[in-house]
Amino acid sequence: MVSIRDLSKVFYRGGQPVQALDNISLDIPSGEFLVLMGPSGSGKSTLMHLIAGMERATQGTCEVHGVDVAKLDESSLADWRSRNVGFVFQTFNLIPVLTALENVEMPLLLTKLSPARRREMAEAALDLVGLSDRAAHLPKQLSGGQEQRVAIARAIVTDPLLIVADEPTGNLDAHSAQEVLELLQALSHEPGKTIIMVTHDPKAAAYGSRVLHLEKGSLVAC
Amino acid sequence: MNIATFIIKNTWRNKRRAALTSLSVAVSLFLLTTLLTALRELTVPPEDVGASLRIAVRNKISLANTLPAKQRGNIQKIPGVALVSPLTFFGGRFKEDDGIGFAQFGLDADLLIGIFGEANLPPEQFDAFKKDRRACLVGRDSATRHGMKIGDRITVKGGIYPCDLDLILAGIYYGTIDDRNLYFHHTFLDEAMGNWGQVGTWWVKVKSAEQVPEVIRAINATFANTSAEVLAETERSFQLGFISMLGNVTAFIGVLSSVVVFTLALVTTSTMSLTIRERFRELAILKALGFKNGEIAAFILAESFMLSAAGALLGVGGGWLLYSKMSVSQATAGIFPFFEVTPQIAGAGCFVAVILSLISAVPPIISACQLTVVDGLKTLD
Repeated sequence: MVSIRDLSKVFYRGGQPVQALDNISLDIPSGEFLVLMGPSGSGKSTLMHLIAGMERATQGTCEVHGVDVAKLDESSLADWRSRNVGFVFQTFNLIPVLTALENVEMPLLLTKLSPARRREMAEAALDLVGLSDRAAHLPKQLSGGQEQRVAIARAIVTDPLLIVADEPTGNLDAHSAQEVLELLQALSHEPGKTIIMVTHDPKAAAYGSRVLHLEKGSLVAC
Repeated sequence: MNIATFIIKNTWRNKRRAALTSLSVAVSLFLLTTLLTALRELTVPPEDVGASLRIAVRNKISLANTLPAKQRGNIQKIPGVALVSPLTFFGGRFKEDDGIGFAQFGLDADLLIGIFGEANLPPEQFDAFKKDRRACLVGRDSATRHGMKIGDRITVKGGIYPCDLDLILAGIYYGTIDDRNLYFHHTFLDEAMGNWGQVGTWWVKVKSAEQVPEVIRAINATFANTSAEVLAETERSFQLGFISMLGNVTAFIGVLSSVVVFTLALVTTSTMSLTIRERFRELAILKALGFKNGEIAAFILAESFMLSAAGALLGVGGGWLLYSKMSVSQATAGIFPFFEVTPQIAGAGCFVAVILSLISAVPPIISACQLTVVDGLKTLD
């Protein structure tokens, strides 16, 4: 599903080039729960951002379901992200003025679905993460674990083929982290869904079907 | 939920700041509405229905120079002239009036209604005025302000002329564009001045509006190359002549209005920039979800517009409501007999609000559009 060839990314900090990724080649088959590990600055988040179309590569190709993400213009890339990628972040990043249900419904505003259908789908996604009873709560009225589950519901509401999670358990207690990881693992068992998770935590990495390590922008064997 | 709900919730997320921003827009637009209304009242004086038939005739040298009373017969003979009356500004002082009281005019009592027909006055009071050469009429505004009653003795001390007028109030009129003035018999002034044979101005009523230009031309021609050349003009031109004496007051109000708008633009732009900067992370999330720059710009523009619209509703609407309910004439001691927030002025206020919402949205839109998803996510909450 994801085919990466000779992917490099160079940042410029204070005019100095920083090689974030160096000639990465990688295939990620559909249905895989891939975990990216590595020390800070190793390039794991950058790799995930490139796959999810949040950043552009300096060179190389990154094909997701046959689409070379690097070649899409900004507008096409935004459309592509809205249809194909679900995002889960370490700090949840829910919109504070919207209720849990409204946060989940947010990505659906970009579709042509009717308001009733949007609501129905958002309710179903919330139900899937076990938070139907918190639909009308604002993020500040939820615990960290609940907020992250709402974020997962938002990520899956459009039924994307790719879900990217950047340190999804970084801000959670052990119990909530376990719930979130089990949820992601369950999602990876759905047909065709691919999950890419970045983490520092070996316990979290254990939930993945494959673990890759990065160091100084390159994949390393463990 | 829909996009509108999202925008409304975002606009009012920080209720205190949104309320204060809208209030600052409201106060500024109220001030702007007030200034524009004042400017209009100064530059476009109100007219009554008879104004189009009236001609003012003054000394060509200046308004301060009088005209010979003997001119009356010559004017009366001009084709198209219906009525002619002297109208002399006495410029006296009533009691210890502070100078913003009321003007006093001497005129031909019999022709008052004929020429200035819009005044509402009970017939018996008008008859009493006509019969007694010491009688006078006072507008209701001044009568109320000074607690005058029919039969009161009113003494006006001379300012321009070296004599005092000892008058008796015969009637109180109302319904004119300026219900403050005092009118008395010109003959009384003539006597007080020792039959001086002069008048301040002539006021002429023309038979039809079509004849006004021709009558003006004829009056000017009649007294050309005499010792007292005249300048005849429509009532409208005569009033605008007074306004030109205000000089740069109109320019001053214009500058003040511009300063108000400019300050308002700075305040709203600063607030909108701050509001959006605080939400860079959320904007990055929206972009990650698939919202494009155009949609993000529309959100920001809509928020800016909502704040300005709320301000316009309060400021312009409040101004209209306030000035339509309160007596501005009383509040300004008659300086502004009318203070009408016209649809054009309200429209101008709303237009400024729309322009402000556009201007104040531009810097945050530029910042938001330049923001990348990854950079936005790195922004601290």
